[in-house]
Amino acid sequence: MKPAPFDYVVAASPREAVQYLADVEDASAKIIAGGQSLMPLLALRLARPSLLVDINRIPGLETIERISETTIRIGTLVRHRMLCAQTNSPLLHEAARWIGHSAIRTRGTIGGSLAHADPAAELPIVAVATGMVIEVMGPSTQRTVDAQDFFIGTLENSLADDEMIVSVISPLPERWGFAEYTRRHGDFGLVTVAAAEVQGEVKIAVGGVGSKPVRMLESEGLVNDSVTLSGQLIDQAARAAAASVEPNGDFHGSARYRIGLVEELVRRSLRQLGSGQADSEVDWS
Amino acid sequence: MTEITGVDPKGNESVGRAVQRKEDYRFLIGRGHYVSDLRLPGTRHVAFLRSPLAHAKINSIDISSALEADFVEAIFTGESDPFKSVSLIARSALPSYIETAQPILAWDKVRFSGEPIAAVVATDRYLAEDGVELIEVEYERLPTNVSAWSTPAEPLHKEALDNVLLERRFQSGDVEDALAGAEVVIERELISNRQGGNPLECRAGVALFEPGDGTLQFWSGTQVPHLVRNALAELMGMSEAKIRVIAPDVGGGFGTKAALYPEDVAICMIARLMPGTPIKWVEDRAEHLLSATHARDHRYLVTAGFSSDGTLLALKADVTCNVGAYSVYPWTAGIEPLMAGGLLSGPYRLENYDCMVRAVATNSSPSGPYRGVARPASVFAMEAIMDEAARRLGMSTIDIRRKNFIGPQDIPYKMPTRLVDDSGHYERCLDKALELFDLDQFLEEQQRRRGTNEPPIGFGVACYNELTGLGRAASAGPRMPFRTGHDACTVKVNPDGTVTVFSGVTSQGQGLETTVAQIVADGIGVDYDDVQVRIGNTDESLWGFGAFSSRQAVIGGGAAQLSALVVRDKVIRLASELLEIDINDLILRDGKIWVAGEVEPRLSLAEIARVAYLESNRLPDGMEPGLEATRFYDPIRGAFAAGVQIGSLEVDVSTGEIRILKWVCVEDAGRVINPAIVDGQIAGAIAQGIGGAMYEHLIYDGDGNLSTGTLMDYLIPTSGEIPEMIIGHLQFPADNPLGVRGVGEGGTLGPNAVIAGAVADALGILVDQLPVTEGAVWEGLQ
Repeated sequence: MKPAPFDYVVAASPREAVQYLADVEDASAKIIAGGQSLMPLLALRLARPSLLVDINRIPGLETIERISETTIRIGTLVRHRMLCAQTNSPLLHEAARWIGHSAIRTRGTIGGSLAHADPAAELPIVAVATGMVIEVMGPSTQRTVDAQDFFIGTLENSLADDEMIVSVISPLPERWGFAEYTRRHGDFGLVTVAAAEVQGEVKIAVGGVGSKPVRMLESEGLVNDSVTLSGQLIDQAARAAAASVEPNGDFHGSARYRIGLVEELVRRSLRQLGSGQADSEVDWS
Repeated sequence: MTEITGVDPKGNESVGRAVQRKEDYRFLIGRGHYVSDLRLPGTRHVAFLRSPLAHAKINSIDISSALEADFVEAIFTGESDPFKSVSLIARSALPSYIETAQPILAWDKVRFSGEPIAAVVATDRYLAEDGVELIEVEYERLPTNVSAWSTPAEPLHKEALDNVLLERRFQSGDVEDALAGAEVVIERELISNRQGGNPLECRAGVALFEPGDGTLQFWSGTQVPHLVRNALAELMGMSEAKIRVIAPDVGGGFGTKAALYPEDVAICMIARLMPGTPIKWVEDRAEHLLSATHARDHRYLVTAGFSSDGTLLALKADVTCNVGAYSVYPWTAGIEPLMAGGLLSGPYRLENYDCMVRAVATNSSPSGPYRGVARPASVFAMEAIMDEAARRLGMSTIDIRRKNFIGPQDIPYKMPTRLVDDSGHYERCLDKALELFDLDQFLEEQQRRRGTNEPPIGFGVACYNELTGLGRAASAGPRMPFRTGHDACTVKVNPDGTVTVFSGVTSQGQGLETTVAQIVADGIGVDYDDVQVRIGNTDESLWGFGAFSSRQAVIGGGAAQLSALVVRDKVIRLASELLEIDINDLILRDGKIWVAGEVEPRLSLAEIARVAYLESNRLPDGMEPGLEATRFYDPIRGAFAAGVQIGSLEVDVSTGEIRILKWVCVEDAGRVINPAIVDGQIAGAIAQGIGGAMYEHLIYDGDGNLSTGTLMDYLIPTSGEIPEMIIGHLQFPADNPLGVRGVGEGGTLGPNAVIAGAVADALGILVDQLPVTEGAVWEGLQ
C-alpha cells in the first residue's frame, strides 16, 4: 500500500499550477490539496499520476468572502472545518459536519471534494442542491461551470486535464434541509439528501443513488408548485423521490433499502426545510 | 469457594488494586517500541506478491523483468529451495483430521486471494512494491468456492476431496428419545459472520541472520514467541539455541498473532539467505484484511427440545465452520468447530446432546483463533434457542435461563462433552446484571412506548461460560503435539533488593508487565514499584506458550506466584540465620524483614540480597548464593468464568437504525488482580463483540475476491458506536494459586446474542443471520 513513483512540485499560483498540469505530456498530472481522497487512491495504486501539483501553499485560496447579500465565494483550499466554523451558510455548516472525522475535516478542501466527484460525498450534493457555480482556471482560460453540469459520473468531473477549481460561488439558501444516513459515525452516507430553496425555487439533490448527485425533479415540482409545504405534500414528494431513484445495492444495504432511505431522508430534509427553523437547529459548537 | 466481598485487598497488598500500569508511561510519551520502530542499519524491506485469484494453477512465474530493475535487490519464489521444501502442516492426532500443507510461497497453485507467491527485497517498501508489479504470473483459473455449506466445485487439497478437513461428533444420552418426549421442539438455522481480529498494529517482523555465529534473531509482533522459536527451528533445520524470538511492544493481537504465518517463515528464510542483512516486513491494512486469519464464518443447524416447564431436554446440532484455505498453524482447522461443539450448551444443564461439527476448506483466508474462539457464534445460537423456547412456552427469557442454569450445587458439573464446569455462578451473575440493568424500569418504558409513535425498544440477554486458563487435562486445541497447560517464570531479587522477573507471558496491550509485577510484589513482600517484569524474549524467559485462551493470568500468574514464594522462603531463611531468629517469627513485607509484633523492621531486603550475592562468607552452610527461583505452573484443569450481559436498544423503524441504550455485563473473574485492567479487558471485548454483531463482516464475492478489502467497507465500530457500559463483578476464587479466572475473551461472547435477542424483543423479528445491520432490520420490517 505505497504509491507508485510520481514527481512532485509546489505551485505558487493557480496559473503556475495549471501550467504544470498542461506541461505534462501524458496528461496524468493531478492536483493535490488536502489529499484525503487522493492519498488512499495513490496508496492503493488505483491512481498513478506522473506528477502531483501541490496547491496548498498558493495564497488567497483559503478564504470565504461575502460577495452579495445572497452569495459567498469559497476559495478552493477552504477546509471542511472552516465550513463548519463559518456562519454565512448554515447548510454548508451542517453538511460539512457530516464529512468524515475531525482529522479529515482539518485537511480536506471544498475544491478537492468537488473535483473528486464522489457521488456519496456531502459537498457535491449541496453544490447541486444550492446551484453552486464553480470557477475554473486553465493555462489560458477562465470559465465557470454550474454544479449541475460539473459532475459527470463516479469520480468524473468536467474539468479539462489542465484545469483546476479556483473557487466556488455558493448561493445562500433561504430555507434548507439536510439528512444523511451513515452506518457509522463519519462514514460516507448510504443516502444523503440536501434540499435548498434559492430565490424561491427548491432543489433537492440525493447522493448515494447514482453515479453523481441526482436531482429529484418530480419532488421538486410538487414542492415548487405548492404554496404551502404540508405534511401530506412532503410525504408525496418523498414517495415521488423514492419512485424515481434506481440505486445499486451492495453489502451495506440493498437497493430496496436505499430506496426506503431516500423516501425517509427526503421526508426529513423537506420537513426541516419547511419548518423554517433550520437555522436555529444548527449546533454552532 | 466463598465469594470475595467487601474491600479487597484488605492490607497493603498490590493484588486487587488498580495500580498505575508499568507500560502506560512509555506509551503515553511515545516511547513504546514496536517491531516497525526497529531501525537496524542496512535494513531491507520485503513486499509480497499476493495472488489476485482465489483458486488457480500457477503455470509460470516470470521474475526476469523484475530482476532487471536496478532497485530490486532480490526476489524469492516458492519454486526453489529452501521455500519449496518447507510447508506449514498443523498436526493433530484426532482420527478424522486430515493434514494438509500450506506453502511458504505458493508455487503450484493458489488457494485464496491474497496468498503470498513471491517476496521482493528492496531498500524501502515503496521500491519493493514497484518490484512486485514487475513480476508476471500465468494463472489457470480453477472453480472457486467460498461458502462452507455449498457443494464444493473443486477440491482445494488432494488429501480432502470433499474439502472437509475434520469432522467430529459429540454424543451423550439419547437425543431422539428426548426430543420425542419434548413439549416444544425448536429448529433454527443460524449463521454468523466472518470477521478478523484487526489489531491496531498489523503483523510485523524483522529477521536478522548473523553470519558470525549462525544465529537468527526474529523480532515479531507475535503472541507466542516460544512456540515460534520452536517451530522455526524445526522448519529451518536450526538449533533452538541459535534462534532468538523477541516480541517487543505489540499493538493488539486478539488471536490473530497467535499463529505462525508463511510470511513469518519467509522473512526468516530470506534473512538466512542474505546473512547480515536485517529483513523487515510490516503488514499494511489491506494485506491484513486479505491474508491474516479470519474467523467466525459458521452455520448452526440446531434442534432443541424443551419440557413444558422450560427444561432443556435435548440438543441436536450440525455445525459447519468455514476454515478457509489452510489448516491454521499450529492450531489446526479444528480450533473453531471443536470449540463450538464442545461448549455449545454453555451454562445450561444438559444430558442429551448430539452435535456434529466439521471444518470445511474454502478459497478464503485461513480461519484462526480470534478472541472468544467460536463462542460468540455458538452463544448466539444457544441463546437464540433459549429465547425462542421461552416465547413458545410463554415464559420470560429470564425465567427459562434460570430454569436451566448449572448451579453451585451441581459443581463440579460434567458437561455432555465431558468438560468439567467448576463455576456454576450463572444465576448470581444474572441476578446482579438484572439489578444493574433495572429490568422493571425497562419493561415499564417498553410498555409505555407501545401504542405511541416513539421508537420501539427491546432487551436481550446472553449467559455464557468462558473456559479459561486451560491446564494439560483440558488443553486448548485438538490433540496437537503439544499441551499448552503450563508456563514458567523466573523471579530474581537483585543485589540491591529490587526484583527482576523473567516471565513466559506475552502482552499485546493487556498489561501483563503490570499484572505479573503485582503478583510477584505480593508473593515476595516487596513494593510494586521495585519489581520489573521482562517478557517477550525467548533468551530471557525459560518458557511460555503465550497469550491465548484467556490463560496468562491463571497460568503465567500462577508460575509467577510460585516462583515468588520460593524466593520469599529463601529470603526469610537467610534472614533467620543472619538474625538468629526463628523463621516462624519473621515477616517479609514492604521489602523489609520484621519480627512479629515489633514496630521497626530489622533488616531490609537489600541487606539480605547483598549477603546473598556479595558476601558468601555470611551465608549459612549449604546455602547457595543468589536469590532466584524458576517454577512452572499448570492448573491441570481449566477455570470456568461465568458471564452475563444484558443490553437494551431502540429501533428507528423508518431507517432500521439500532441505538443501544444500555449495556450491562457481570462476570466472575475470580479474584481480580487489577480492577482497571479487568474492566478494560471486558469493555474492549464487548466493543469488539458489538463490532461483530452489527458492523464487521468480511465478504467475498462469488469469484473469491474480498469485497471488504479496506476499512471503508470492513466497518470497525468507533467510540461513537459503542455505548457506555456498566460492569459488575463477582469474585468466586478459582482453584489455582491466585484464585483467578481469565477475563480476556468473555466480553466478546455476549453481544451477538444480546443484539439479536433485543431486536427480536423490540420488533418480533427473528435474527437468523449476523451481523444485525440497519438494512437487515429494515428489510425485516417491510
